[in-house]
Amino acid sequence: MNLSRIQNILLAVALLCLAGCTEPPIPPEVKQAEEQDIALWRSEAPVYLPEEYGQYKKALIKAKADFIRERSRLILFRNYIHVQSEFRHLLQTGNSIIGQLEGKKREFSRNIEEKLSFLGNQIETLKGLSKTMNEGRLARRDLIQAEVILIEAKKRFEKGDFIGADEKTPSLAEHINAAEKTLYPIATRYSDKKQIGQWQHWFDDTIAESRTRNIPVIIINKSERTLTLYKRGNAVKSYKIGLGRNGSKDKLHAGDYATPEGRYRIIKKLPRSCYHKALLINYPNEDDRRQFEAAKKKGLIPRTVSIGGLIEIHGGGKDSMTYGCIGMDNQNIDELYGLTSVGTPVTIIGAVDSMNRFSSTVQGK
Amino acid sequence: MKRITIAFLICSVLVVLLVAGCAKQPTEDIKAAQASVDAVVTEGAQKYAPEDAKMITEAMNAAMEEIKVQDGKTMKDYGKAKEMLAKVKTDAEALKSNLPMKKEQAKNTALAAQETAKTAVQEAKTLLSKAPKGKGSKADIEALKADVKGLEDSLAEVQAAMDGEDYGAAMEKAGSIKEKAGEVAAQVTQAMEKVGAKAK
Repeated sequence: MNLSRIQNILLAVALLCLAGCTEPPIPPEVKQAEEQDIALWRSEAPVYLPEEYGQYKKALIKAKADFIRERSRLILFRNYIHVQSEFRHLLQTGNSIIGQLEGKKREFSRNIEEKLSFLGNQIETLKGLSKTMNEGRLARRDLIQAEVILIEAKKRFEKGDFIGADEKTPSLAEHINAAEKTLYPIATRYSDKKQIGQWQHWFDDTIAESRTRNIPVIIINKSERTLTLYKRGNAVKSYKIGLGRNGSKDKLHAGDYATPEGRYRIIKKLPRSCYHKALLINYPNEDDRRQFEAAKKKGLIPRTVSIGGLIEIHGGGKDSMTYGCIGMDNQNIDELYGLTSVGTPVTIIGAVDSMNRFSSTVQGK
Repeated sequence: MKRITIAFLICSVLVVLLVAGCAKQPTEDIKAAQASVDAVVTEGAQKYAPEDAKMITEAMNAAMEEIKVQDGKTMKDYGKAKEMLAKVKTDAEALKSNLPMKKEQAKNTALAAQETAKTAVQEAKTLLSKAPKGKGSKADIEALKADVKGLEDSLAEVQAAMDGEDYGAAMEKAGSIKEKAGEVAAQVTQAMEKVGAKAK
């Protein structure tokens, strides 16, 4: 066989090879993986399963690089078997993520639902407290802002945007905390055992005085918003009352709109008052003066402020918006006026037991 | 003669290989397509048309993969890649030209919601100013005033969202404010009825 013949044969084989070689089909898994990646993105896999999706993405990039490398080869040497198996494995991983995603979303939505429900309950509790306490209005600004955010969060939740709903919770909690900071220090006094003990002591002493001296006494219960008249130690009349704008607090100085707490007496009866009729009590008493001086020394109140006075039980309505006095409906002050006299003991307490309207809110926190 | 034919054939193959092998990456096309993608992202495509933005990004990635495939070949052919890049560029430009309209639509919807919320808060405020602070209603009125102030604070947040071009958030908040303002107005009416005054 001469050289030219060999050359001809080789040339023919090479041409046959080139002509007969067609590109092997691209594995369908490649396209499927691309679609799966889009589907995972739409299902928010990067958000709910960042680690798993990150691994998947890495594997996808590698598989694509291998696919690119394989495609870059000469058709004659191109073989997608390895790439196909890589993509199949990737598709399995993706399917597993889709499966996990459903569970993860369910779990996440449950958590958000619970969180929103908890925060909603907190708002309701504080709103309840804000209605019970005069000082409640100070927290309302924050509470309504919290309610606005809660509506936004709930709407997002209903749309299935659980992440978006969750993003609302920090600002929601911020407003709730601000409202709590306003209300709880006031309400906490009503669950303080020592404080309640003192109020109970005043109550018991006053009732005992009524019994032993056979005189009428008045007990004003701030948490219940009641004024009760006792005779010989027994309750004979009870009226609904209102307090100062900051009536749940103990009065410390003039202009604090708080209603004092302690044991007082009626020192003057005013048949004609700008609030119909009035019974003036001896605020400030010795305890009040001591408390005032101590607060001043500690710098808790401004140096220039005075202790205040002219605290009355008067008519004009039981709206809790007085300067610190105890307000009643006119017909009730008319009745009470006739049942009391100068010297009648008036004891103002926050609560008579630890289970009162304010303490239950604080305990239920 | 035969030798000359074979030599000619080999030379021809070499020339073809050389010409094809020397095909260069379509760098200008890549730059142009990438610039279009970047521009559409900067315009806020991910916010106003996230699905379209994702598709364009994926198409750009696919074009780049095709370029990598050709990079690895002896006989490079960037024709398909060029077509893909041209499509990316066209799609990105089309989306970019649509974005101002989408943005404007979102802005107008948010503005309308903001106005509605403002009106609702103003209505509650006006109603509150007419409420008599009489017997039994003073405390309620004081509390409701604080509610209105809280809603006004929230309205300021709507404006902040508008300023930040976050129209979705602005619309969301405005809707919630409107809802709460309606509740406050109803409570004001209730408080007025409590003291026998008629809402005007």
